[in-house]
Amino acid sequence: MKFDFAFAMEIFPQVLQGIGNTILVAIASFIGASVLGFIWEILRRSSRFVRPVAQLWIDAIRSTPVLVQLYFLFFVLPHYGIVLPAMLTGVLGISVYFSGYIAEVFKAGIDAIPRGQSEAASSLGLSRPDTIGYIIMPQMLRNIAAPLGAYSVSILKSTPYLAVLAVPEMLGSAFDVASETYRYAEPMVVAGILFLALAMIGVALVTRLERRLGLTPAKDL
Amino acid sequence: MSFVDILRGIFEGFDVTLIVTLLGLAYAIPFALVAGVLQHFSQGWLRLLVTILIEFWRSSPLIVLLYAFYYSLPAFGIYLSGIAVGAMVLGLNIGGYGSQSIRAALQALDRGQVEAGLALGLGRLDVLRLIELPQAITVMIPTFINLAIQLIKGTALVSLLTLTDMTFRAKEISQLSYDPVRIYSSLLLAYFIVCYPVTIFGRYLERRASEGRRSISEI
Repeated sequence: MKFDFAFAMEIFPQVLQGIGNTILVAIASFIGASVLGFIWEILRRSSRFVRPVAQLWIDAIRSTPVLVQLYFLFFVLPHYGIVLPAMLTGVLGISVYFSGYIAEVFKAGIDAIPRGQSEAASSLGLSRPDTIGYIIMPQMLRNIAAPLGAYSVSILKSTPYLAVLAVPEMLGSAFDVASETYRYAEPMVVAGILFLALAMIGVALVTRLERRLGLTPAKDL
Repeated sequence: MSFVDILRGIFEGFDVTLIVTLLGLAYAIPFALVAGVLQHFSQGWLRLLVTILIEFWRSSPLIVLLYAFYYSLPAFGIYLSGIAVGAMVLGLNIGGYGSQSIRAALQALDRGQVEAGLALGLGRLDVLRLIELPQAITVMIPTFINLAIQLIKGTALVSLLTLTDMTFRAKEISQLSYDPVRIYSSLLLAYFIVCYPVTIFGRYLERRASEGRRSISEI
């Protein structure tokens, strides 16, 4: 079967239909991953008994494939009576996977703040919560903005994994077209082009945001 | 089936996981090196061309690349096995990331290094080979280890092309006996057993490299 460009153009709108869910999943997963990653990092900094457990947990998340994590949630949660919609399972899986990396972003962001900052705050009489809220957090946010931006694009690029759970995102719509027409080459290539374009837009938006915040672009992730 | 039986069954797929990883590295390392160096050196249209190539492999989602190449290559008359397509796509994707670390490492070098090399009468290529690359590669070894882990994890995707790697074995076992908790826990454990030692090794190298840098600056 030869590659049919006219057919590829024809199915373009059908594949594009999934873009809403792709963006939705990406945004939800980014929020989920940031929240979980922050929690892991707080646990890692809590007590010296929790610390090694949190470290091992973060390492375990980072040492296993996101695809396998998704399978695990998808097949194991229902076994314990937790039946979630496939999309929610997918968002949870991507959130967990990237939380392992984002925990490191928070770690680096907090480590980069000189110790003198919190010492100065306490010598000025600020309470611990005030020190965290007014001194540490604002500086940390500045440090983490660029790497978080880079991870947001990585998360966007991981959303097509949800197609294996039959979530109707963009790769999923491409598979729908393929199974209706028995042609796989064209829908997959169209999906590839659309995802590449989406990722490029994502990178451009992140770069613009960084420039507006006056940050240097993040190192490659 | 017991936990050990399941784990043993999953590791029957380890050879495919390993082969795809090694073949993937065989694509990733040369691609990263050549593309990274070319992007650093070239100008004008050549640089644009290299950048487009890198961005294509790096910015497309891995799973989409895999499906697109697996299904569309035959439509262009190119027939490759699942292993060949899987290794190529995984390798070039990781290589795209690697090229950026090589370029960054080359750009981070002090310009004086090159100037000193040229002043000593070395050709530009010799300066690259003898002075710039050795330093750049030392700096990027920890990054490289991380990318290798990404590659190992990425091989789970070839199970979607029905190659019998560890993930595919787990799916086969789950068709024989309904026991998702044990099977998918074992599968997570199997990848952890493979990847975690590499993580620890990478951390050791990173620590050693930073100690080395410190002792050099003390001198």
